[in-house]
Amino acid sequence: MKLTIDGQVVEAVEGQSVLNAALDAGIFVPHLCGHPDLEPIGGCGLCMVEVEGEDEPVRACMTKASEGMVVNTKGDAADKLRRLAMELILATHPADCTGCPKYGVCELQSMYQYMGVSPQRWRCKGRTVPTDDSNPLITHGFTRCIRCGRCVRACEELRGVGAIGFHRAEDGSMRVAINGASLQEAGCRFCGACIEVCPTGSIVDMVGLVKENRSREDNVVPCRSGCPAHIDIPRYLRYVKAGEWEKATAVVREKVPFPETLGNICTHNCQGECKRNYLQEPLSICRLKRAAAVRDTGEWKSRVRHEPLTGKKVAVVGAGPGGLTAALFLAEKGHKVDVFEANAKVGGQMRYGIPAYRLPDEIVDREVATILEISQADDAEPRIELKCNERVKDVKALLAQGYDAVLVTVGTFQGNVLPMKGHDLQNVYVNTEFLKAAREGNPQPVEGGRVVVLGGGNVAYDCARTAVRLGAASVDVACLEAEAVMTSTPEEREEAAEEGIVLHDAYAFTSINDDGTGKVGSMTIHKIAKFYFDENHRAVTELVEGGELTLPADYVIFGVGQKPEDTMGFDLELTHGPYVVADANHATSADGIFAAGDVVTGTKSVIGAIAEGRDAASAIDRYLGGDGDITAELLDPEPVEKELGKAPAEFYTPAVQPQMAPAEERKGNFAQYECPFTEDEAKCEASRCLQCDLRLTITKPRLWNEY
Amino acid sequence: MAKQFETDVVVIAAGLSGLAAAISAAENGASVICLEKASNTGGAANMGMGPCAAGSPVQKMSGITLTPGELFRRHMFYTHYQVDAKLVKAYYDKSGDTIQWLMDMGVQFNSVRPAFRAGERTKAYADGEYTWHVVQPEDGSEPGPRAATTMTKRMTEKAQDLGVEFMLETPGTGLIQDEDGAITGVTAVDKNGEEIEISCKAAIVATGGFGHNVQMIHDKIGLDWGKNLFSFAIPGMDGDGFNMCHKAGAGHTPVTMELMYQLPDNMNHFYVEGAFRQPCYWCDRLGERFMPEDEVFNTTFVGNAINHLPGKVGYAIFDANMLKRWKKYGPDIVSHVHPHDLYEGFEAQWNADLETYKDDEGNPYIAQADTLEELAEKLGINVDGFVAAVEEYNEMCAEGYDALFEKDRQYMIPLEEGPFYGCKQFMGAYGTLGGVLVNHRLEVMTDDYEKIPGLYCVGTDACTIYGDSYNFCIPGNTMGFCLNSGRIAGENAAELAFGDGGDEDWDDGDGDWD
Repeated sequence: MKLTIDGQVVEAVEGQSVLNAALDAGIFVPHLCGHPDLEPIGGCGLCMVEVEGEDEPVRACMTKASEGMVVNTKGDAADKLRRLAMELILATHPADCTGCPKYGVCELQSMYQYMGVSPQRWRCKGRTVPTDDSNPLITHGFTRCIRCGRCVRACEELRGVGAIGFHRAEDGSMRVAINGASLQEAGCRFCGACIEVCPTGSIVDMVGLVKENRSREDNVVPCRSGCPAHIDIPRYLRYVKAGEWEKATAVVREKVPFPETLGNICTHNCQGECKRNYLQEPLSICRLKRAAAVRDTGEWKSRVRHEPLTGKKVAVVGAGPGGLTAALFLAEKGHKVDVFEANAKVGGQMRYGIPAYRLPDEIVDREVATILEISQADDAEPRIELKCNERVKDVKALLAQGYDAVLVTVGTFQGNVLPMKGHDLQNVYVNTEFLKAAREGNPQPVEGGRVVVLGGGNVAYDCARTAVRLGAASVDVACLEAEAVMTSTPEEREEAAEEGIVLHDAYAFTSINDDGTGKVGSMTIHKIAKFYFDENHRAVTELVEGGELTLPADYVIFGVGQKPEDTMGFDLELTHGPYVVADANHATSADGIFAAGDVVTGTKSVIGAIAEGRDAASAIDRYLGGDGDITAELLDPEPVEKELGKAPAEFYTPAVQPQMAPAEERKGNFAQYECPFTEDEAKCEASRCLQCDLRLTITKPRLWNEY
Repeated sequence: MAKQFETDVVVIAAGLSGLAAAISAAENGASVICLEKASNTGGAANMGMGPCAAGSPVQKMSGITLTPGELFRRHMFYTHYQVDAKLVKAYYDKSGDTIQWLMDMGVQFNSVRPAFRAGERTKAYADGEYTWHVVQPEDGSEPGPRAATTMTKRMTEKAQDLGVEFMLETPGTGLIQDEDGAITGVTAVDKNGEEIEISCKAAIVATGGFGHNVQMIHDKIGLDWGKNLFSFAIPGMDGDGFNMCHKAGAGHTPVTMELMYQLPDNMNHFYVEGAFRQPCYWCDRLGERFMPEDEVFNTTFVGNAINHLPGKVGYAIFDANMLKRWKKYGPDIVSHVHPHDLYEGFEAQWNADLETYKDDEGNPYIAQADTLEELAEKLGINVDGFVAAVEEYNEMCAEGYDALFEKDRQYMIPLEEGPFYGCKQFMGAYGTLGGVLVNHRLEVMTDDYEKIPGLYCVGTDACTIYGDSYNFCIPGNTMGFCLNSGRIAGENAAELAFGDGGDEDWDDGDGDWD
């Protein structure tokens, strides 16, 4: 169908409004209540146009385009009405925009910039409504509301929720308000559609939710951006909710080759970012990943990228999560990879650091086997070869041996020992060695003894809980930090406490004391009043007078960080001692040698190492002449149900808790004590997801300056 | 890998100074990419009403004979020559023509106004000049707040006509330099979070200060936003350009804020705030008056005064009599910002706020009491000091003469009849000023006064011309400096991009004028 708008012949489809026909043709017509995804209501009066044959200007959003129609968007009569409508909007909108969080991205601001309208001939009257920040996540500043009704329609039409509506205020005016005492009472899903469509600063994200240094998408879906590997969390949680474990795992697999491992031990930064932290409790994303992974059947395997062999060979030094991840993605890109591992088995900290009660060997074995399987696929020869018990001392020599590139992922396997009095006594252990020995079934003895672990991170707790399982009579943890700022997770500390581990937070380490025979006899610590870094970034501790405490001890374990081994001999540029310097492309100071993971970043996490491994694989592929594309599509995109319906009461519950072996039972052995979610538990927990990503599917109206 | 672009000049941010820079660079033949963090152009100027100029056609038509030279002298006396005279002169010299430049784009000006007229007593040193070129809204109506949006729209359209490519929701993140420090490119992040790299011959930084960055305000200015400062915090003004320039080696200048005064979160308490901006009784924490209250219309002076009070807080207090009088006859000082129905809307908001309008520790920002003692108690004013000072003040009112400050006698009305109304007044500000060392060509210089080739800084980050205080007597100055600094930088950047050297090269130096 053809019609003429401002002298220009324009195509329109049957049933399309004149407004949309004009906008699609690149002719801007002001509008505010209209939104590309919402039914028009003809409310704001800004889209007035003149149509030949009509006596009065009409609302373009409510007028269907018809064959041969002649429309003038710039006529005086329409312009006059349009300006009047804008004046009346501005007459009740606050004049001072500077306190508004939408400043600069406000559609009303853009619209009055376009129209150049001033409300000065009206008696301006603000409709002050106190800002309501009593609801989680969503702040209502209805003083700024222009009653376009977009939010009300989005909540009803798009989401089928109807948590907000027009209500008559005391002064007789119609205003947008919650359909109930609170959003929760109104059945709100907290999906944010209302925020997304609001053209002013009337409905906005709660203060603090939007971080300046993140993109809009990352702010809207913070779990996904919080994951170092950017796993599409909302997408796989939807599959978990539907009981489609296979698909859920495929989504995870698109980014990481260790779904089950991560489901057991991930530091789950995503959960810290989850918006439900402000609404009961965050989603148990990590546990849901495990719930799906344990039920996976591997159908996705046929869709793994398998590019033709390039004839290039890469050496990966260190078979931890980062090295193995890089090996897989390099192999997928057609490169052959040899992975050198100093230990008897691959897995790095997954096998030798993390205790078996959190991550049994079988899981690591299984996921490594899958890596080998999918990378080989139908090839006659494996693409990845694991070379265990081979400690590489000279990484540069590998280039000479014919490797086209080398990736150093040796991690941090040397535990730190503080040079304090008594550090060299007998029965003083170091985290890395202690954990590795226990993992190898050849533990350093602590049975029947009193153990003091120094340090407050997750690794210190791994040592403490391992000591409990090895039969220590008592285990104390002492650390510099106050509990509120300890780096170990609160769950870790809680479970440890259940197992009888005693925490002494905010203590300085004074000395390890000799029992008179050259062995540990006790540990002296001192309560800290204040701990901070001065302007020169030096740690300063102020002690509490008389706050000294001596704990009787037979064993002391240093759990105060760890650092790379071997790197001093690599002849690569180093920083902060033994850490390898690598640029944004993971390139080290030597051409052809790359580095990633803890050896570069310092001790982080399995997911962090995996993310580094991905990036490094991509960078090395580019270095070897490839395109660096390691994206995966292990399942077809499917349409998403965007209508959520009113939230039932159970939507507002705290996280589902998995079955766990009681402390008395679990502390005697290294068996995994946390059960995966049952199917019902997993579905129930996943249904708590707010599906923040749905907000990104809402069309963003184009402003006049984009026409 | 970052997406690659190439252009002659990159303008970082599309506020008023950035728009002016983009247009003038493009007019002078340069290809221009203009980055902008927000989705709207115009930045903070969208709040304003118009720029300052001297010698403009509008002034001439109105019989205002003020010349750039006169305004320059006025400005330099006000700042005691503590600022770059060459930069100030370059700005005012350009300003009249810039008005014509804007009119050629289709911007109309409603009138030239002073911000205020001083009373006889203060006229000699603090009268308002007729420099404020208030933009005519497109519909012909009387200009109000936001009138300048019509100007930013015309400028955006002009820039688009000239082929300037706007990248909206795409903040600049850094400058790329060669080994000699010359600018070779700009990095940015687009709305999808993708990195962008634009190679260019010149970059013009126009990001508008760090009024939204609480940490930087604390570190660089020493004020605590939300405690003793409640300045405008326009989202996005986080010091991006300031940091970018310094990272590239830019020299340092003092950073100030153009202080004024306000109540916390004033937009939600507009009637309450407006009601107190009157020449009633103003005092410090000890209860003692600190300035002649007939000057409270001068937001700069009051902001500065509060900065030097104990605890950096002032108090404005009136009684039932004054309220009755204002309700009947209107406010003594009329503001063009606060609502016309100020005292009609006052009581509803006041009563709603009395219970809730408090700081984080629960101390009220406002209070009402039947006695002076009770009021002082509630607001944390020294009770004895306050009662004694008010008693003295009331006696002076009865005599009709303010022996302390010689406040205008028409405002000498005693605090007598309860209930008494009081509020705390804090420093406010429009944003930050200065920080990046530039010369009169808006070229960024190092601390050794050596140019960083290809780098320009304009607008508020470069605005070091006020000295310690905004000159309220020369209204429109912030916009004026933004426009003209942007325009000058745009011209120079285009010239640099084409390497024709400009005027200096007319004489090749061998003395024979060939």
